Formats: sequence, structure tokens, C-alpha cells
Amino acid sequence: MVFRVYVEKKPGFDVEAQQLAGELRTILGMTGLKSVRIVNRYDVEGISEELFAQATPTVFSEPQVDNVSNDLPDFGDAKVFATEFLPGQFDQRADSASECIQLISQGERPTVRSAKLYALDGELTDSDMDAIKRYVINPVEAREASLAVKETLKTAVPTPGKVEVIAGFNEMDAAAGQKFIDERGLAMDLADLEFCQKYFAAEKREPTITEIKVIDTYWSDHCRHTTFGTELDDVKIDDATVKAAFKRYLELRHELGRDGKPVCLMDMGTIGAKWLKKNGILTGLDESEEINACTVKVKVDVNGEDQDWLFLFKNETHNHPTEIEPFGGAATCIGGCIRDPLSGRSYVYQAMRVTGAADPTVPVADTLEGKLPQRKLVTTAAAGYSSYGNQIGLATGQVDEIYHPGYVAKRMEVGAVVAATPADHVRRETPAPGDKIILLGGRTGRDGIGGATGASKAHNVESLELDGAEVQKGNAPVERKLQRLFRRGDACRLIKRCNDFGAGGVSVAVGELADGLYVDLNTVPKKYEGLDGTELAISESQERMAVDVAAEDVDEFLATPARRTSRPPSSRP
Amino acid sequence: MVMTWNGDEIVNLSREFLASNGASKHQVVHVEAQQAYETPAAWREGSLADRLRAVVTDLNVASNKGLSERFDSTIGAGTVLMPFGGRRQLTPNEAMVAKFPVFGETTTASAMAWGFNPYIMSANQFTGAYLSVVESLAKLVAAGFEHEKAYLSFQEYFEKLRDEPERWGKPTAAVLGALMAQIDLGAGAIGGKDSMSGTFEHLDVPPTLISFAVAVGNMKRATSPEFKGADHRVVRIAPRYLADGITPDKDALLEAFSIVEELVDFHDALAVSTPGYGATAEALFKMTLGNRIGVSLNDSIAADDLFTPAYGSFIIELADDAKLPAASNLVEIGEIGTTTAAYELRAAGETLDLDAIQEAWESGIESVFPYRSKGADKGATVETVTFETPKKTVYVGAPVAKPHVVIPVFPGNNCEYDSAAAFERAGADVSTLIVNNLTPAAVAESTQALVEEINKSQIVMIPGGFSGGDEPDGSAKFITAFFRAPAVTEAVRDLLKNRDGLMLGICNGFQALIKLGLVPYGDIVPMTEECPTLTFNTIGRHQSRLVRTRVASNLSPWLAKTSVGDIHTVAISHGEGRFVASEPVLDLLKTNGQIATQYVDESGVPGMDLDVNPNGSLLAIEGITSPDGRVFGKMGHSERSGNGLYVNVPGNKYQPLFEAGVEYFAA
Repeated sequence: MVFRVYVEKKPGFDVEAQQLAGELRTILGMTGLKSVRIVNRYDVEGISEELFAQATPTVFSEPQVDNVSNDLPDFGDAKVFATEFLPGQFDQRADSASECIQLISQGERPTVRSAKLYALDGELTDSDMDAIKRYVINPVEAREASLAVKETLKTAVPTPGKVEVIAGFNEMDAAAGQKFIDERGLAMDLADLEFCQKYFAAEKREPTITEIKVIDTYWSDHCRHTTFGTELDDVKIDDATVKAAFKRYLELRHELGRDGKPVCLMDMGTIGAKWLKKNGILTGLDESEEINACTVKVKVDVNGEDQDWLFLFKNETHNHPTEIEPFGGAATCIGGCIRDPLSGRSYVYQAMRVTGAADPTVPVADTLEGKLPQRKLVTTAAAGYSSYGNQIGLATGQVDEIYHPGYVAKRMEVGAVVAATPADHVRRETPAPGDKIILLGGRTGRDGIGGATGASKAHNVESLELDGAEVQKGNAPVERKLQRLFRRGDACRLIKRCNDFGAGGVSVAVGELADGLYVDLNTVPKKYEGLDGTELAISESQERMAVDVAAEDVDEFLATPARRTSRPPSSRP
Repeated sequence: MVMTWNGDEIVNLSREFLASNGASKHQVVHVEAQQAYETPAAWREGSLADRLRAVVTDLNVASNKGLSERFDSTIGAGTVLMPFGGRRQLTPNEAMVAKFPVFGETTTASAMAWGFNPYIMSANQFTGAYLSVVESLAKLVAAGFEHEKAYLSFQEYFEKLRDEPERWGKPTAAVLGALMAQIDLGAGAIGGKDSMSGTFEHLDVPPTLISFAVAVGNMKRATSPEFKGADHRVVRIAPRYLADGITPDKDALLEAFSIVEELVDFHDALAVSTPGYGATAEALFKMTLGNRIGVSLNDSIAADDLFTPAYGSFIIELADDAKLPAASNLVEIGEIGTTTAAYELRAAGETLDLDAIQEAWESGIESVFPYRSKGADKGATVETVTFETPKKTVYVGAPVAKPHVVIPVFPGNNCEYDSAAAFERAGADVSTLIVNNLTPAAVAESTQALVEEINKSQIVMIPGGFSGGDEPDGSAKFITAFFRAPAVTEAVRDLLKNRDGLMLGICNGFQALIKLGLVPYGDIVPMTEECPTLTFNTIGRHQSRLVRTRVASNLSPWLAKTSVGDIHTVAISHGEGRFVASEPVLDLLKTNGQIATQYVDESGVPGMDLDVNPNGSLLAIEGITSPDGRVFGKMGHSERSGNGLYVNVPGNKYQPLFEAGVEYFAA
């Protein structure tokens, strides 16, 4: 049985409804709008009537500020519509409600679905209503919901079939290959496809779709900086200063004995540090096979004693996801920024946000087709990034937004963080045969599929319609649990190597840990059933890590979270 | 790499093949002639007033406080420089600076700053990228850190390059510019990220290379840009520029850095700023904001000097006894003026009213990111509550030298580290208990564990954070659900009623206490419409900054080490801190002395203006207690205090709550 309750903030407490009314009037120019009411609707299944009654004034509402009813409230002549998240999108509201009920019942978590009803009163035409719906519903994450009562909240779980083997792959000609790339939404180009054909021909078999997706993820610009690795065969320079700099660059290469290496942007970008290091100007670097973030060795004064620490920093962009779904995109920007130093077993303690936008004060009516209004982008992205940073408990020391008309092409969402850890927490070893890989953090769902390759694709009018599955929702409380664990020396000292699930899911996170790996995808913890092998292999999450642990340390590592440290935190465990 | 699924081998790829990164890519590059950068026309024409107004209302200069303040800037109790400095918290910092996250005390801090100007890079990718590096390092130096200890990381963001040589020429020129800056200035980029997807149909993002510079140093070096007092000398330290007039000569720049670093060493630099996007005009203007101190420039300073790009130069407010440092002929050092008590900018024969310029700056992008009161709340004050009783609540049990504190941590709480540290500093024995809700059995175990911990504790502290992400649509529901379990409720009652114990809730903890009834009723009770509560801030978003609070009552043991009327500067960071109660309840709280603290303005008067009262709380209430004062709930993060924090905002930042709570049991 499905229980339903409607919860509405009382007049004077309806901040969200009043804000929306203000935005609709000033941004959309709805001068005929008289009032807006917003009602949260919860459907709950797997709960007794008594427990539901107990949860209504404690979990779903607060008597001081909310009005509650079990039937659809009377909206008079107002126009009403409802919205809900797309199936599979993380809904923190419903998720928390379910967890709260569990805390009361100390039993199983019930299924909770949330929806939001909007009731708009005033002189509003059908086209006004359409405009309002477009303003409040971002189709990549949400949709209009039915007002009807639900029989059940259970969703159909398709049993995934076998993974497709791409018949005729090795024989595709250029036209068929390009068609394949387009149809499958791959980021690779035709030359890469031909490269794959050669490999699989030598292997005397056709690839599975999983293999193609894994390869596409590995070679995407997001993971491997394909653009920066492109060999620059001929560099023609019309500018004298730049020409002199290029000549100097070639001299640096010569000094460092790198004449034989390809000239590419990556080489230009990294040679400065190499040269400074060789000349003794750049010191203190902590270098290892494992690369999680920029890492330097520093002395830190702890209670009057100089200790060896590692200082890490990292910047990260999430331009594409933020452009299409600013809240989730910006939230996972900072989530993603944290995860790299975190995988280096350090504690991220301060963040900066530098973003780029076009003028957000221009009227919404001037928005380009296929784009969200700049005003919506800048405010929603700020809400998303701050929501994640505030929840995970990260101090944000500077927030700046750069305005330039060019960023209307695509928003720039950049986060940067600093992190640190006592040097003796970090043990870096080359994984050995027989080591176990442990996944920890959030479970795998369908929401994290295709982010790495999506970011590497050019953008067109259809993006808003099609790329929805590429938007991840951040879950800061889960990443914070990883932070708490990785702040403990007794946990970190068991980790030989760690990688995050930021770009490329299991295939990259686990795949990069060691040269040879055996992965049983059936052991991957899932959010829900129905994921197929390909989805399990490539779904990303900010809040998931893969660690390499010696087989004999597995039990001790798994017991760490439950092992309470009775010592006060100031004496490091 | 082999992957199996449902018994089938679905991936079997060789490492060599995967690591090849696919087919090798080749490209021809054409770097076109680079252009000269010009400042916006409005900065170059008209009176000083017109030109300054054009700068401060430029979106890239205008106040972004309404954007920034929705981000928690103080959690971790390590923030050395607040995002906005001065008693008015208006002057943006040059770099973010925080102490290292040690358990215990440290003086080691890190700084990070960024540099980038999209307009320069659009005209000249090479020089633009070079200046990104210069600006990031200059900001680090301005914040008191040393360029020789700096490391860099770059963020590139360019249009889709396709296979067009001219498009490839842009990142090539930029990366070369950044390379030359690294070599010239001796700071290496040891990381970076690139994105080459900034194209939508025929539109491209501007060529973007942001330089992030970091350095580690002693927190005592941290320096902020707001003027500290009137009648101080203001000097400019500027490197010689190359023929383009915008790129500093490398040797000159390094010397300028060293001179500023030396001034910081000797504590001679009271305030340091380095001109960026809005040139010297922006830098000087922003220095005046924080403490409302004007500046009078010498006649030798022409208006044009203020509006010309001056990357790598510094504006410094000198301490009274400081000597002007010596420099080679590569660096120009000169007194350019004096700070003034009058809130004016005097320059080039004009005297500008800074209140008017400030208003233009604050309203520049306020329609998108509001942060100031409009309407009735603007400047509104409320009654100052004062309650002094000789009959304070005391502890009558056997003395406890080292009281035990339990801090339960619910999923989403995040202030437990800072809270535990504050109690430990005060001499308590702290136990942090993680509530595990992975399975029903784990929930039951956690309930039992909390009951046992409460039974052996003198103090229960509910920390701040976002339990359950403040969902469903209201804060602290996770915590209240847990505390309403009969066994936990009984343990709390035993602590408060039979053992004279104490409870403290800060932020999310206060929300939990009030929604349980522990404040103001002193017991866990069902909620009714009449109960006071904490709800969404009137501004409709999260607020983070420092506020001033005034002690209104001496009833609570938690406030035993303060006096009624004491004013503290405390960090707040919350989305739901608006205290609401009916008129009769408010009257009762007032009569009983349960109103513990109020938000007050600079002169100690409680008010409703957003500048004073960040959430719109009735009667500007920040904290309330139970009838006997043993349970205290407050929004302000008193635990976020420590040595060397928030040095760019004056005020008494030490509120001895934790010490009072611990000493209560010693009697």
C-alpha cells in the first residue's frame, strides 16, 4: 500500500514559493501572476499505517511551519502541475526521508518518492504555463509528474540480457565506422576505431560493446588528454615574441635531452617543471607511480614539533555537466575536485571556486535556443557547488566568477582544493599479484554513465535533450564518510594504492591500479538491480574509491570503520 | 584486464593496447599575430568619478558577496583570512589562507591564489597566460607568502580545436606564455587540467588559462588588503615593464616580490594589495571598503595611472615606524598618498564620496546575487535583552575534574572534529560516536551505544552540519528521529534531571534541540504549532560569515565565563537559522532569562538588518536555553575558534563556552 501526504509551508514560512514568484515576475516577466504555492508530496510504501502516522509530524513535516493533508489541497482556480526526478536520479529528499523513518522504526527502509506541486494563481495563458514549466523543470533530471494516486512505487526491473558482441566490427569500412561512432555516441574518432579493428583482428575476435565503451573512456580527452598529447608536426608562428618562446622551448628540450620526444601541448605544459627541477629551483616534489594530485613534501609544526607532511592541491573543471544541469554539475565539480587528493589519502581542508559566465543580468528572453539562461546557470551552479561543499564540511576561502560574453558558448565551472596528510599515513607500493581490490563509498547506479566522454564531445542544440544520463548527482555525506576514514592512519597505512571513480568507473578506477587485473563485475555493489555488464564497468561516481590492499590485510581494512578509536582525536590513531 | 559478468568474459584487453591512448594524433599549428589588450573605453574617458564608477560597476569588479556568502568559509576552524576583510567584511582577500588540518595546534598555513584575465587572453594568448602566472604569484605575495616557495597548477579551457591550425594556435601560444613565466619566475606547474570543449555551434569560450599558485608558510605572515587605519603612508612598488607596457620585466618582478616579502617579514606592511583586472583603481578602492578608511593620493599620481594595467605591482599601507625599502632602478618605489579618516578618495584634483561609489559597487550584480536588506528590515533595531540573576544554575554532584563529553555524529554532520577539539582544549574527555545506519541491526547497535555513552557522560553535544542533507525539507530530522527513540530519550532525561548534566547544540545541533523541545522546554516533548522553531533564512539561501553576538543572560552555566553585554565575533554558516516563536513564548523566554544571545551591530545594538542578523531571527535571537540554562542551543559556531583565525576581521573571537561547561563540574 502506498501512503501519500502533502506538506506545504505556512504563509510567512514559504520562502521558496515567494522566491519563485519573484523570479517568475522579474525574470520571466509574468506580471499577471498573483501567487505561487509549492507543496511537497511524499509517497511511501513498505510502512505500517501507525509508523506513517508517527512519521508525518516528525519526518515529513513540522507542526510549527507546515500544513499537512492526506488529500490534494484545495488550490481553487490556480493552475497546478507536479514535478519529480527522473527514475534513477538521486533524490536526497526521498532518500533522507526513508533513512529517518528507519531511525524511528529501527527496521527496513521504506520506499519513498517525492514530488513537488506548483499551484500558480493569476492571469496566466497556456504559453505562460509552458514557459514556467520550462523554467522549473530541467528535463535532464526531472519531468512533469502525474497528480493521480499511485498503486505501487515498485519499478519494473528489466533483466539485462547478455552483453552484445559487435558483429562485423572488424570489417567496417570508413562510412560504417563513422555511423557506428555516431550511433553509439562514442568520443573516439575514425582513426581510433581503425586502431581497434587492427587490435581485435589480431586477437581474431569481435569486441563486445563493453570493450568498446571501456576503450572509448580510456582514450577520451577527459581521462587521457588526447588533445594535449597530439603531436604537433608543424608549428607556424607569426608573432615574434611567441616565436622566440617556441625557440626557447626547443632549447629547453635539448638541455633536458628530450629532442626525440614528440612536440605537443603536454610537453610544453610539463617541461617547465622538469627544467626547474633539473636546475635545482623546483624542490620538494613527492613523485611516485601513483598520481592522485600535485603533491609536495612540507614540514608542518604540530603541537610545537616539526613533522613531515604531504601537501596536495588540485584543480578540476566540470563545464559540460554544469552547462546542462548546473546544480548537479557544479556539485560534482567540487566532489570531483576533492576525490583526487582524497584518493591520495589526504584530508581536503580548503577550496576555491573560479567560474566563468556571460552577463547574468541580461533578460531571460534573450537566451539562445538550447541553452539555459545565464542567470539560472550562475545561481543554480552556485547552489549546487555550495550545497556539496557545505555538506561535506569544506571551507571555501574564495569564490570568484569571471564574466565574459564568450562563456555563453559553455559555462566554466572550476574548483580548486588544498589538502594535507602526515607523510607516514601514505604508503605507496606497486600492487603485487594476489592483492585484492576493495570498492568503498557509494554504490553503482546508472546516473554516472558517460561523463568522461560527454565532457570531451562538442556541444550542439540537442545536448539538453539527450545527455541526461551523463549528469551525476552528488552525495556529499557519502564522500565525507570516505574523508573520515582516510583521515585515519590505521586505515591509510593498509592501502598500497588508491584510485577514484571520477572518470570511467570500474574500468578506469580499478583498471589503472595494476597492469594485470581480474574483475568480477557481479561483486560490484549496486544501487538497484537491472544494471548490465557495460553499465557496471563504466558508471562513475565521485563518492566511490578502489583501493589495492594486500590479501592478508583485507580483513583488518574492512574492520577499520567499525573499530572505534577511544583515544581522543588529538592523539593520532 | 579481464572483466567477467554473469559468468561471461565481457572484457579482455591488453594493458599495452589500452595504454596506447589510441591512434597517434597529428596536427599542424598556426599561431597568428597576437594583439594588444585595451582596457574598456569607459575606464579611459571622463572624470575620475565617471571612470571609477565604470570600474566598480564592471561585473568583474562588482561586489560578489551575495555569491560568496552562500559558501561555508569557516568550517574546520582553520580559516586565517576570511573571504571579506575589515570590520565591515567588505574587502575581498587576495588569497585563501588556512592552517593545516592537524589534530592540535599548528602555525603552518597554506595559501592559494588564482590569476587570469579573459580579455587580455582573447587579445593575446601568450601574454595573457604569462600574466595569469604573474597575477597568481603576486596575489600570494600580497597575502604574505613567498614566491620562492610557490607551486603552480593550470586550468586550460579552450574552444573545440577541430583540425584547424589557427584554432590550435591559441592554446599553443598560451601554454608557451605560461612556460616562459615559469622559467622566468622560477615557479613550476606540477599539475593541471585541460578542457577543449568550449564551443557551441559558432560560439567559442575565450581562450582560458587560469594559474593557481600555492605556497606553504607561517600563518603569522598572512596579510590582508583592507586599510587598517587613518594617516598611514600608502606606497606603490612597481616593477619596470617591457615594451608592451603590460608584461613586467622578470628581474624587476622578482625584486618587487622580494621587497614585499621583506616588508611582511618585518611587519611593516599593514595592508597589501596587487592590482588585477580593474587595475590600481580597483585595488585602492577595495582597500578602503573593509574598515571605511579613505585615501588621499599625491598630486603626482595622474588619473591615468589608476586605470592602466599594473600586473605585478603592489599597493601597501605602511606601519608608522616602517622605513621605505631601497630598490634597484628596476623597481619603482614611491609614496603615493595617505589613508584618511574621511571616507573619500582624493586624487587628480577630485574628491569622491566613497559611500556613493561603494553603493554602486554593492549594487552592481545584486539583482542576481542579493545580500543586503531592502525595505522595513533595513537598519531596523530591536530591543536589547538583558537578564541578570544572582541565582545561577550550579552543579551539586561530586566534582568531576575531566568531564566526559559525547558527540554523536549523524550522517551529514560535519562539525564534530572542531567541536571535539574545542572541548579537548577546555580540558574535557571527548568521545565521538558515529551513528551507523547501514542496516537495521547497525541502527539498533548505534542506539544502544549512544545510550551507554550518555549514561557515562556529563555533557552531550550535538554538532553542526547537515544531518540527512537537511532533508526532507527541514533540518535535523535525522537527529530528532534518533533522539526520540525511547531509550535515548530516557538517557537524556536521566542526564538532565538526575545528574545535573549539560547539553549543547550548535547550528544543526541547535535545530535538533529546538525540534526535540530540549530548548526551550528542557525536555523531549511532542511538537505543536506553538513550539518555537528554526526555519529557513529569510534570504532563502545559506549564509556564511562572521557575526557579532551579545550575551543577554547569565542564567546558563555555559555562559558563566562571560558577562551580560559581552560581544563576541562568531562564525555562522547555515541555511535554516531563523528563530521564530509566538509573542507569548518570546515574552516568557525573556522573563525567564532563556534568551542567551542576540545578533548585534557594531555598536552592540540587536537588529533585523541582514548585515547584523543573518537569518531574520525574531528579536535577533542567536541562542536560547532551557529554563535552568543547562541546555544551550545556538547558531554561531563558537567551536570554530583558535589561534590565528580570521585575522582580517577585528573583534573578540574567543567565546569561552566550552571552558565554562567543563568548569561547571569542577565546583
